[in-house]
Amino acid sequence: MSKAGIVAALAAAALALAACGSTETPDTGGGGGSAGAARTLTLWHYEGANSAMGVAWAEAIKQFEASHPNVTVKFEEKGFEQIQKTASMVLGSDQAPDIMEYNKGNATAGLLSKQGLLTDLSEETAKRGWDKLLSPSLQTTARYDDRGIMGSGKWFGIPNYAEYVMVYYNKDAFEKQGIAVPTTFEEFTAALDTFVKAGITPISVGGAEYPAQQIMYQLALSKAQRPWVDAFQLYKGKVDFHGPEWTYGATTFADWVKKGYIAKDSAGIKAEDMGLAFMSGKFPIMISGSWWYGRVATESKGFKWGSFLWPGNQMSAGSSGNLWVVPEKSKNKDLAYDFIDITMKKDIQNKLGNAGGVPVAADPTSITDEKNKELIENFNKLSTQDGLAFYPDWPAPGYYDVMVAGVQELINGGKTPAQVLDELAQPYNDNLADIGG
Amino acid sequence: MTSLSVRRARSAQQAGHARGRLPGAGPGRWAVLAALVVLAVVMLLPFAIVALNAVKSPAEYSAGGPLALPHGIYLDGIVEFWNRVDFGRKLLNSLLVSAAVAVLAVVLSVLNAYALGVGRVRGRLWILVLFLVANTLPQEALAYPLYYIAKAVGLYDSRLALIIIFTVVQGAFGTYLLSAVLGNFPKEIIEAAEMDGASRWRILWRIVVPISRPTLNVLMIFFFIWTWNEFFLPLIFLISNDNQTVPVVLGVLQGERMMDATMSSASALLGIIPAVAFFLIFQRTLTRGVTVGAVK
Repeated sequence: MSKAGIVAALAAAALALAACGSTETPDTGGGGGSAGAARTLTLWHYEGANSAMGVAWAEAIKQFEASHPNVTVKFEEKGFEQIQKTASMVLGSDQAPDIMEYNKGNATAGLLSKQGLLTDLSEETAKRGWDKLLSPSLQTTARYDDRGIMGSGKWFGIPNYAEYVMVYYNKDAFEKQGIAVPTTFEEFTAALDTFVKAGITPISVGGAEYPAQQIMYQLALSKAQRPWVDAFQLYKGKVDFHGPEWTYGATTFADWVKKGYIAKDSAGIKAEDMGLAFMSGKFPIMISGSWWYGRVATESKGFKWGSFLWPGNQMSAGSSGNLWVVPEKSKNKDLAYDFIDITMKKDIQNKLGNAGGVPVAADPTSITDEKNKELIENFNKLSTQDGLAFYPDWPAPGYYDVMVAGVQELINGGKTPAQVLDELAQPYNDNLADIGG
Repeated sequence: MTSLSVRRARSAQQAGHARGRLPGAGPGRWAVLAALVVLAVVMLLPFAIVALNAVKSPAEYSAGGPLALPHGIYLDGIVEFWNRVDFGRKLLNSLLVSAAVAVLAVVLSVLNAYALGVGRVRGRLWILVLFLVANTLPQEALAYPLYYIAKAVGLYDSRLALIIIFTVVQGAFGTYLLSAVLGNFPKEIIEAAEMDGASRWRILWRIVVPISRPTLNVLMIFFFIWTWNEFFLPLIFLISNDNQTVPVVLGVLQGERMMDATMSSASALLGIIPAVAFFLIFQRTLTRGVTVGAVK
């Protein structure tokens, strides 16, 4: 009898809650409607509270509320996956936020801009001078044409930070082998040889995810110029997958596996495990992006470490970070513009830099932490030589998996570099035909 | 399950008192016990690893990897996660949605199954096939139609939308299952009630429902747990953080390229505890419902 009582009570409670739930929901959306009254700026982003962006943007919200006394910022922390999966639905409804962080790229921000879900920011950008703060390769991911392809056309987003691929190294391990920080590609391979001779596999690689393809791309970039990147990424010309760039990238990558720079079993390693292996000191080198920087800084204990740009390269994988976008259905566009403006100000940008991020418009002299300074100076060097070459998996939908599979074949030795390049060429050219480029 | 553990405990007790005199304590028994222990370890290992990493500090995790034992109990991850996402509110949301769905879906299933199983509606086989097909539809296929409908009636981003959707989804399965159960309902009882002048409505609530209560209870518990664990549709429909359910909020920690393994473990632990607790509370009802047919 008591069980029936519990079930009945549960049912009653559920129904009561359901009832109050349904009456409660309609009035959540009506925050900032009426004129003259207090307004609400709804803001979404998906950066962790402790990350550089999270810290800087929390400060930006504080400053925004101080300069807009009648506005409260309603910040909601979102998950990356939720935004990825639901953005087009949310932005097509009345529940759209006033401003949000969104992924750069053709398949994300480009697609939404094509669907008319994002506000054209070109006028505000010119008026407030955001374009002057962003270098050309950072602007690439902020602008999309009518086909939703990045690189030209209207402004649909403003990036606050940047990212690039670099070489993380274990200073203690380098000292032990008597190796100085390499400045040329020859010195770099000499250093790798020294480790192999000492019986150490030098590079921690995650072949099951993005890291391995970025190494191959870095190698290809060492033979490339900007027009090649524009052709490959922005469809501004024809890409020959058997040309010198890709051929060198794939062959050298396969050689590196043969020479023992990269472990044969790394084809099944995930990016997370690659990072853990480096941070626990098992490998002296990790080649990956600045998104690891904060984590390596706080979590690697027991050895000194540093970072340097890929030796000898003019260009490196990298791009702007994710974008601030203003949904077309935003009810407070003017406030959204004001907020973006604050995040581009020097002190917020410096805060981002001091917290271990890569700001796009910071003042390097006001970055106090030595390590972060190194990170930002390396980026500024790359940025001034117009060296951001984006990522190898960008140009075609589903290309990420093609890249992962191809590079895994190179690690396993299952296919020759020429065969792998044929596999890479196919989906790329198919996509090119689709967009009529 | 309980009877088994009780029996095992009792046999262990007896073994302690009078070793060797136990009847049938041959090697076969020990082999079964060993197999059960291995199975239990295999089942519990993932939970153990989650629990292990939930109480580790991130630095410890990076230094030792996921399998190393923690040096001390580090609860900051759990506490920080709770506060960061306002976990109490998410628990309440999940409880509200799951409980409402469990109750409403069972009511809906009973009404449908009464018509199909006892009432013998014409063409009921095809109706059941339809329900079965509806059950096999992937939720991804439903996402866009449901989104447009919810938007049109102003229920997008509300828990009520989710309650309605899952009541129907779970109700489809419940109808299919209950129709089979009620199809075998003893006719004599219903005929007797009809002869006493009971209306159909009265027969349903006074006779059919009380007699099939164990089955209904099991159904309700399954509906609750299934709805609790739903991820995809809540992800799409619950946009505001204030409305989100527990599985959705666990996704907050998965970044674009970064994951926070220790805090993810902490959140996973928080996420499964309620469902496990619910299961433990009602597990007697479950076993009773499952064995009710066997006793006959």
